[in-house]
Amino acid sequence: MAEITLNGKELETAPGATVLEAARAAGVDIPTLCYHEALGPYGACRLCIVEASGPVLKPSLITSCNAKAADGMAINTESPLVVKTRKILFELLIARSPRTKPLLEMAARFGVEGTRFKAAQGEPDNCLRCGICVRACTGKIGASAIVFARRGQGRHVTAEFEKSSSLCIGCGSCANLCPTGAIRMLDEGGRRRIFVNERVISDLPLVECRNCGRLFVTPKQADYVNAKTSGQGRPSPGDLCPECLRVSKASALSGLPPD
Amino acid sequence: MNEKVIISVCVGTGGMAAGALDVIKAFETELAGRGVEAEFKKRCEVHKVGCRGFCAKDVLVDVTAAGKTRTYQNISAGMAPRIVDEHILQGNPVMEWAVGPEYATFHGKQHKLVLAECGIIDPEEIGSYMEHGGYKAAAKALLKLHPEEIINEIKKSGLRGRGGAGFPTGMKWEFCRKAPGTRKCVICNADEGDPGAFMDRSVVEGNPHSVIEGMLIGAFAIGANEGYVYIRAEYPLAVERLKRAIGQARESGWLGKDIQGSGCDFDIRIGLGAGAFVCGEETALIASLEGQIGEPRPKPPFPANKGLWGMPTNINNVETWATVPKIINNGAPWFSGIGSEKSKGTKIFSLVGKIKNTGLVEVPMGMPLKEIIYDIGGGVPDGKKLKAVQTGGPSGGCITADYIETPVDYESLGALGSIMGSGGMVVMDEDTCMVDVARFFLSFCMDESCGQCTPCREGTKEMVRLLEEITRGEGTPEHITMLEEICAAMKEASLCGLGKTASNPVLSTLKYFRHEYDAHIFEKKCPAAACRALINFRIDENRCKGCGMCLRNCPQGAITGQKKKPHTVDPDKCIKCGACLDSCKFGAVSKA
Repeated sequence: MAEITLNGKELETAPGATVLEAARAAGVDIPTLCYHEALGPYGACRLCIVEASGPVLKPSLITSCNAKAADGMAINTESPLVVKTRKILFELLIARSPRTKPLLEMAARFGVEGTRFKAAQGEPDNCLRCGICVRACTGKIGASAIVFARRGQGRHVTAEFEKSSSLCIGCGSCANLCPTGAIRMLDEGGRRRIFVNERVISDLPLVECRNCGRLFVTPKQADYVNAKTSGQGRPSPGDLCPECLRVSKASALSGLPPD
Repeated sequence: MNEKVIISVCVGTGGMAAGALDVIKAFETELAGRGVEAEFKKRCEVHKVGCRGFCAKDVLVDVTAAGKTRTYQNISAGMAPRIVDEHILQGNPVMEWAVGPEYATFHGKQHKLVLAECGIIDPEEIGSYMEHGGYKAAAKALLKLHPEEIINEIKKSGLRGRGGAGFPTGMKWEFCRKAPGTRKCVICNADEGDPGAFMDRSVVEGNPHSVIEGMLIGAFAIGANEGYVYIRAEYPLAVERLKRAIGQARESGWLGKDIQGSGCDFDIRIGLGAGAFVCGEETALIASLEGQIGEPRPKPPFPANKGLWGMPTNINNVETWATVPKIINNGAPWFSGIGSEKSKGTKIFSLVGKIKNTGLVEVPMGMPLKEIIYDIGGGVPDGKKLKAVQTGGPSGGCITADYIETPVDYESLGALGSIMGSGGMVVMDEDTCMVDVARFFLSFCMDESCGQCTPCREGTKEMVRLLEEITRGEGTPEHITMLEEICAAMKEASLCGLGKTASNPVLSTLKYFRHEYDAHIFEKKCPAAACRALINFRIDENRCKGCGMCLRNCPQGAITGQKKKPHTVDPDKCIKCGACLDSCKFGAVSKA
């Protein structure tokens, strides 16, 4: 627990909370792109900057996502320096991705409309390099199929060797988590394909549900989930689609037939 | 009795590039062929030595005969026979090849401490290092001093990190020593990436054992058993010498288990960098050593608490490590007696650009810039005027000729908006356009940005675009406003040091050379006549003799004229390559 001052108001934070968590718990809006509750702080988009000062801290900008709230900290989320700096960050991001709706909406929420900077050369893409997909795939799923390649201006999300990934299990976490829709997942013609900015990074066959016949999972994902849940006495989830799995579990618990 | 003659040949990268290996071979062939030892009873040894700094005059060769050392400059293999003949056999040095007075002035004002043995000892033989007092400091530290005494000594000496930021080394060691954990490590940062900087390379090439000895002392003081040297793969010679030195140190019991019976275990491994500038940043360096992508990580946690594979880690630069044995040998008061009030000791600079005596110089901290540029560096060549000195590499700034009296130390350079950095010093003359300089450094940072954080990835790109437009004459006053705003945001909000400091070249040129930006924007002129889009080539009809030299050299056919009549340049066809200017012998071509 820490006692901090947030935009002039004193408050107590939850134990071990970051400044961002404390602010959000108190209903203060701080923009973030690369932060995700499940993945922890990353500190790359820099939009969550706040002005902090404290007993041992000179007033300076810090990223609230990875700074732990500490006793005596005074946080200002809307100081002139924060507003000015954040505006430039938004403008720079909009210059890269001028048509990305979630970005434009977030910027507008913080008073930034449009950009003075020039749009990226070539076709602008929706990927803001927040790395949520990469971190989820590597840190949570454990597949490391989707990665960052190149550096600086060339940094982009892709699969190994810019080809359709051999490591991807087709779970779709990247597409589900992508904040801008730059990654899409499409189930069509018996296959599941994942696109980053319209380029296929994964193309896998789908298998049928043993019960209802719906195409719902890739064999790789089914194997992966089975391997992770083996020996726990559950029906093999790779065989049943989520709906049939739910019904079969309920039936097993209640002793009633599935229908 | 056999007289001993020693021929020392510089085999730093500069010397090697100038043909040092051929020179050595030529001397060896010559000495053997003439039977100098058998017939003339002169015992000749050809020694390889590291860089002694004056790279402009490589290959440099010292011949020590009859107790006197004579230095020769710009030596090639073909010159060996005459030196052997006249100097070694007849005792008459070849004066026309000997170094001139500038060699003495170049070295005269220097204070060689880290470089003291570079160019004297054979970097490939531990014995040569030992003869010059090598590992004496380590023996003293490991066998006679308590780790805390060592840290106190370093703290008292006032040594600050030579990698750029100037953090007090003793304090850094203390943080790491006090950090909880039993497995700790020290790292030597030899990922020297600033354009035009080669201090660390020369130290590792010329005296690799000094770095190993410094690391050993530091590791003992901190309580670390593991050491890494992260060095650029682009420094093959330095890597090779370091590998050899580490091997010899192990054989001689200066690395390994229970070093010299002190109970201290320490060993060093080499990690090769693959050329990313950002890997000089300590957290990116650690990521790279771990086998991850070389990208910086947010601080805290600081490496002193959680560094390489989570171990408390202490990272210092090559020069810092190489300074440590000197302090242990000579004591903190001796060291703090050199330098200025807050910056102690000496600093090595690589003096490059528009300067007569290009090379490596080591001077006491606080020496006025003027003395480094004029007394040691010999000033700007071709009678041109000094315009600015860029220090600190891409993270540094430009200092104008008006501030030439500035003492070179951490505080004074910082006050001028530049930094000490790792020691690059690029001298610029009146032909240099400062907007173009800012553009150059910014595009370097843009290429080297890891791309992780928004301000650095997008900000450098946008600034390069703005600066390019200004150099093309497409700038507006709004360009300056936008540049200033992006600079401020990058300084405040970037993740690592690269982004935080990348705007320095823009900020410092805006501060001191605003008039040049204005000239580009309002008058569409480049005062230094360097920006191609804004200059025109002209032929002076009074000076032109109609020789046709420019006409023949013009790749575009933009020059016309009859023989022996003044020629003219067609500005529409001209691509401003400058071939006409370079080829005219009568000074008739000018650009403005």
